[in-house]
Amino acid sequence: MEASKALPLTLSGKSAGRNPMDRAHILRSNTFRWALAVAGVFAVFVIVLFGFIYWQADQYLIARSDKMIGSQLNFIAGLPSERRLDAINDHLKPDTRGVQYAGLFSADGRKIAGNLERFPPDLQMNDSVRSISVDRTLPAGRETHVIRAIARHMPNGDALIIGREVDETKEISHVVAQALALGLLPAFCLCLLAGAWLSMRAQKRVEEVNQRVQRIIAGDLRERLPHRDVDDPFSRLTVIVNGLLDEMEAMIQALAGVGNDIAHDLRTPLTRARLALERGRTNATTLEQLQSVADKAVANIDQSLTIVTALLRLAAIENSRRSAAFGDVALHEMLHEVCDIYEPIAENKNINLRVDVGHRLNVRGDRDLLLEAVANLVDNAIKFTPEGGKVNIELLRGDSETIVRVSDTGPGISEQEREAVLRRFYRSDKIRSTPGVGLGLNLVAAIVKLHGFRLVIHSGQGGRLEIICPDKQD
Amino acid sequence: MTKVLLIEDDSETAEEITAELVDRGFEVEWSANGIEGLDKARSSQPDAMIVDRLLPGMDGLTVIEALRKEQVRTPVLVLSALGAVDDRVRGLRMGGDDYLTKPFALVELVARIEALLRRPVESRETTLRVGPLELDLIERTAKRGDRVIDLLPREFRLLEYMMQRSDQLLTRAMLLEEVWNYKFVPATNLVDVHMGRLRHKVDGPGESPMIHNVRGAGFILRTGP
Repeated sequence: MEASKALPLTLSGKSAGRNPMDRAHILRSNTFRWALAVAGVFAVFVIVLFGFIYWQADQYLIARSDKMIGSQLNFIAGLPSERRLDAINDHLKPDTRGVQYAGLFSADGRKIAGNLERFPPDLQMNDSVRSISVDRTLPAGRETHVIRAIARHMPNGDALIIGREVDETKEISHVVAQALALGLLPAFCLCLLAGAWLSMRAQKRVEEVNQRVQRIIAGDLRERLPHRDVDDPFSRLTVIVNGLLDEMEAMIQALAGVGNDIAHDLRTPLTRARLALERGRTNATTLEQLQSVADKAVANIDQSLTIVTALLRLAAIENSRRSAAFGDVALHEMLHEVCDIYEPIAENKNINLRVDVGHRLNVRGDRDLLLEAVANLVDNAIKFTPEGGKVNIELLRGDSETIVRVSDTGPGISEQEREAVLRRFYRSDKIRSTPGVGLGLNLVAAIVKLHGFRLVIHSGQGGRLEIICPDKQD
Repeated sequence: MTKVLLIEDDSETAEEITAELVDRGFEVEWSANGIEGLDKARSSQPDAMIVDRLLPGMDGLTVIEALRKEQVRTPVLVLSALGAVDDRVRGLRMGGDDYLTKPFALVELVARIEALLRRPVESRETTLRVGPLELDLIERTAKRGDRVIDLLPREFRLLEYMMQRSDQLLTRAMLLEEVWNYKFVPATNLVDVHMGRLRHKVDGPGESPMIHNVRGAGFILRTGP
């Protein structure tokens, strides 16, 4: 009681320290971190994508410009030499942006025409289009530019250079950066917002679950976790936990029932003892009277002690693990022994007790416990069989199992009673007058379970109970 | 006078046990904890000891183990609220000592102390005799005077146990443990039924009864009334 009271206190004490709606907590939450990571990956991906687009566009524009340069060169080179000067000037004149380059140099390197001061040293004759740096004369002075250019020998020995500054790339990078700023930033923010929202939602659900769990811990066993009709992992988890809670509630109720039964069964003899003593104390006048009162009280106290002992023993068997000390138990011998022990008792009641053992069969187990189990079954059978009846103990061999069967000609166990007989302290109304504690079958069931065997109770006229020992115990 | 050392920490229980044993003619010495009890066991050399298992200072089984190491062979009856039969208790029983689970009847306690004090001596006799009763352990036959008694194996074992402890009160629990080797108490009064049949065979018509039922306690085999 103390522990169960203390538990919710410590739990709520912990949860008070971290208010789930706390902003810092949301930022620290797992969901938010995931959202942040996803946003980061997304940003990197977008940057790489834009970079790729930029690179592709750049390549394309350069290739196009190169083609243009080539065709201009071919055009000017194809003209007669006297018209080349005009063609070069015509070529340069409409270029207001200053991106076009042309130059005609004599064989000894002298400039004949164009806007290039001298022959660029890193340009090869009759090569393909390539990037070079050139000086350019402007009214303000000289500037160095990187351009795409091509040079070719004319038939008269002159060298013709056509070039073009590819400044479109700069524009493209500008556009790309702009697009990035416009597209990436909002997307990133959206990611973070979504993350924060998801995180908050998860927090809210966790908080809701926490509150319900606190109520369950506080003792409200009927409380269940909130369940939404969505097929997400969280909902599935709730269904599982709720199932577990159902199971626990049923178990706790069953336990409470057992507790009541125990209290009832213990109180009955104790009440009798108390009454006897109380009345004896007042009314007894002779030693004999007092002694008879004391005898009665002792008998009733013994009865309640028997119940306690039986319960403790049951608990001990139920809580013990299969012992490594299990040995081979010769069932045929054991059944004969049980028969020997109970023979006189059966005979007193004019019951025909027979043991029918066809085979010599061994199982692995604790001999004392198995003897106790079978003895209990036989004890019960004899107890509930009317005079002149029969009780049979049989040892049978199934497909891959050994069967110990105890059958009798008594009233048997009805279909409805089958579950109930395994309940603690259950005593059929038919036999309520028969003395006993009502834990016998529980004990048998516990022993059978400990061995990995099965207890089968057949319903119908005449009792028939079987302990089924599979060859492979697990 | 037979001296019994009682080591038990609950004074009320100790008082009742002491009173009962004194009534039965024992001399009783009491100590309430294990260390003092061990000292008394060494100094006053009792004939038997009753030791509670859970004791302040030093637990009962440790006291016994210490004594056994010093080659002190005093028979011990261990009292315990722990019913579980574990290995230490098993060892105890193998050493000829006994174990009684609380709560117990005083009759049971006295019967077991008597049994410990009068442990049957190992004899090479192959025939047991109590008054007119004769049991041949080799031939597995029983006679009362000239009358041959026809016994089933289990009945023979029961009579043998009783004849080895004639004039002693044997409780049902003792018989179940020793003769039937039962580790549990069965629902039905097995012992009474078996004893009834044995008595029917041993005490024939017209013969003076030898197996006596002590009400609420157990059975005694003796020649006298």
